[in-house]
Amino acid sequence: MLLLALKDLRLFVQDRRSMLITFAIPLALITLFAFAYGGMDGGGESRPYALPVSDLDATPLSQAFMEQLDTLAALTVVPMGLEQAREGVRKGKQDCVLIIHPGFADSVRSGGELPVELQYDEAQATQVSMLQQSLVPTLINFPFNSGHARTAVGTRIDRMMENGPVQERLRARMQFDTLYSTMERGSEGGTAGAFGVGGEVKMTSLVKPATGNRVVLVQAVAGTAIMMLLFSVVGIGMGLLDERQEGTLKRLLLAPVPRAHILFGKMISANVISIAQLSVMLAFTSLVFGLQVRGHLTGLLLVIAASAYACSAFGVFLAAVAKSRQQVQGLSTLIILVMSAIGGSMMPLFFMPAFMQKIAVLSVNYWAIQGFFDVLWRTLPLPDPGFLGHLAALVLIGTVLNGLALHFFRRNVVDAA
Amino acid sequence: MLEVSDLHKRFGEQVALRGVGFSVPKGECYGLLGPNGAGKSTTISILSALLPPDSGRVVVAGHDLATEPLACKRAIGVVPQELALYNDLTAEANLLFWGRLYGVPNAAVRERAGELLRLFGLADRRHHRVGTYSGGMKRRINIAAALLHRPQVLLMDEPTVGIDPQSRNLIFEVVEQLHADGLTIIYTTHYMEEAERLCDRIGIIDTGRIVAQGTLAELKDASRLTGTVDVTYAGEPAQVLEQAASFWPHVHQEKGITHFLTPGGQGDLARILQGSTERGMDIRAVAVRDVDLETIFLHLTGKQLRD
Repeated sequence: MLLLALKDLRLFVQDRRSMLITFAIPLALITLFAFAYGGMDGGGESRPYALPVSDLDATPLSQAFMEQLDTLAALTVVPMGLEQAREGVRKGKQDCVLIIHPGFADSVRSGGELPVELQYDEAQATQVSMLQQSLVPTLINFPFNSGHARTAVGTRIDRMMENGPVQERLRARMQFDTLYSTMERGSEGGTAGAFGVGGEVKMTSLVKPATGNRVVLVQAVAGTAIMMLLFSVVGIGMGLLDERQEGTLKRLLLAPVPRAHILFGKMISANVISIAQLSVMLAFTSLVFGLQVRGHLTGLLLVIAASAYACSAFGVFLAAVAKSRQQVQGLSTLIILVMSAIGGSMMPLFFMPAFMQKIAVLSVNYWAIQGFFDVLWRTLPLPDPGFLGHLAALVLIGTVLNGLALHFFRRNVVDAA
Repeated sequence: MLEVSDLHKRFGEQVALRGVGFSVPKGECYGLLGPNGAGKSTTISILSALLPPDSGRVVVAGHDLATEPLACKRAIGVVPQELALYNDLTAEANLLFWGRLYGVPNAAVRERAGELLRLFGLADRRHHRVGTYSGGMKRRINIAAALLHRPQVLLMDEPTVGIDPQSRNLIFEVVEQLHADGLTIIYTTHYMEEAERLCDRIGIIDTGRIVAQGTLAELKDASRLTGTVDVTYAGEPAQVLEQAASFWPHVHQEKGITHFLTPGGQGDLARILQGSTERGMDIRAVAVRDVDLETIFLHLTGKQLRD
């Protein structure tokens, strides 16, 4: 088995085209994507979004506020306990949580600043800032929509005129009805914010890059590395079809070794090459773009190993299923591009519609990218269930694909040899 | 050394083998002779444990193939019909890999690879990549790769297909050397001269059956043929064949020459000439040949080996 793997490695090293596809092209693409992603922090547009909301005020007014948020076409409110929501943000399950702090109802009645806060993952800063903008109009208009506008406006006018001359304060009070009507009309037209009623949504970062890494860089290296790895392992897997075409598979089958060992040898060599490829890509990004990996090497190695296992299983699976190189090339290009698109290799997931984000879990890319974010961005500790879950998903995908590859290898490849 | 009995194999509706059986004692070179599609390669595939038979039994060096496939594989060396080598590896690296795959220890496989490279006249190119070799050189390495583990039985499936005369002669010499060393060899071919030159006994296989087997002398005796009378006629070949068949039961045509298979020696020549004259056939040339394997094959199967 090891002998078979060593033979494959030797052939790989002697094949300059494979070396080029495995190492040089991915490095060029990482460079390209790293620059391209760098300009995307402020881009994008909002999409329907499931917003976790922790209502710590728990009053009829805070409930009414949540109901009003829920009427927004862009949002679906998901009530959630604070700790659960914050944990979700820390582990990358959610981008943010909207917290309605105690005192919300009192502030509405008294015309004070509404204590509403968005706690978020800085990796999702772009998405969350767009979300914040969509929340502000509802927040500003809430005093009007909840029947507390007069109090709120009165209080606001008093505060505005607090230090002004007595005559001005008296004049403002006398002109209150006119001012209130203006603001009320403004609220209908969405311009009440000009008077500052309702306040702003406070933004607090919950997950910061402890590694000092830039989110765009982590996204670029993780997304590109996995996509390129998938392409290159397909090439390695296709070696199986080459062996069939060149007659060496038949000779391997004539040898006194169990047939499964032929496939296992291919899997081992694909794994070794995959691990080498990922390691080189990360080392390159670390040296050239300053990706911080020190202090996270164990976690990183685990993600690399799990990702390499899942990706190489995909390559071997395709080679075992397909009956010709042409078939593999067609199938692999299609599947890899789809997986890369839905899995977040080509663009961050938050740019995609909600349903696309849900089906992302079907791709190897998604789990691998999450694993890299766990280590390089969220800096989750090794025993963290979220991190282990991402690794387990990769191992499960790899094992299922390897099992299927073995089945199809026995049925298709061996028969054809 | 090799016992094959009543092998049957179907591929869907197509029947490939219909009860093939033969026995090869130690040290014998047994030729399996038949045209393309006769069942030679299917038989070799079953003997080498690549294909399971639908029924029948194979025993190699005392090991039953059905119950001890790995032991049988260790006892057998197979030279596949197609070249099966890694073109990007050197000849030596190829041999070392295949030898190790059969469990030959490192030192032994190195020594054996060197021996075989010398035997096949490739020692000076051992470090060249196989991809740079000529077809004949590749064929030689293809055979050498089957000998690294010193098999007890060597299965050679048409090892000289598509090679130059020089390499073919070298392969003949190597097979003769291996045979002289006592190796048991099963040699499939559709070249008469190879079977005649190399094999102690020959099995003639056609449409999945062994239609006759024995030494060349035994086959000649069994065929009851003494030779052929080859006649060149003027006129339309199809019409000539029809006329010839009207007075002679075993006749066929190839490249404008009509071959009469003759059981009766010189007396047959007179009868053939008389029959031709009676039918007004215009004879241009006549030749008489002794019986050979090709004649026997034609007589037994009604077709030529290279049909």
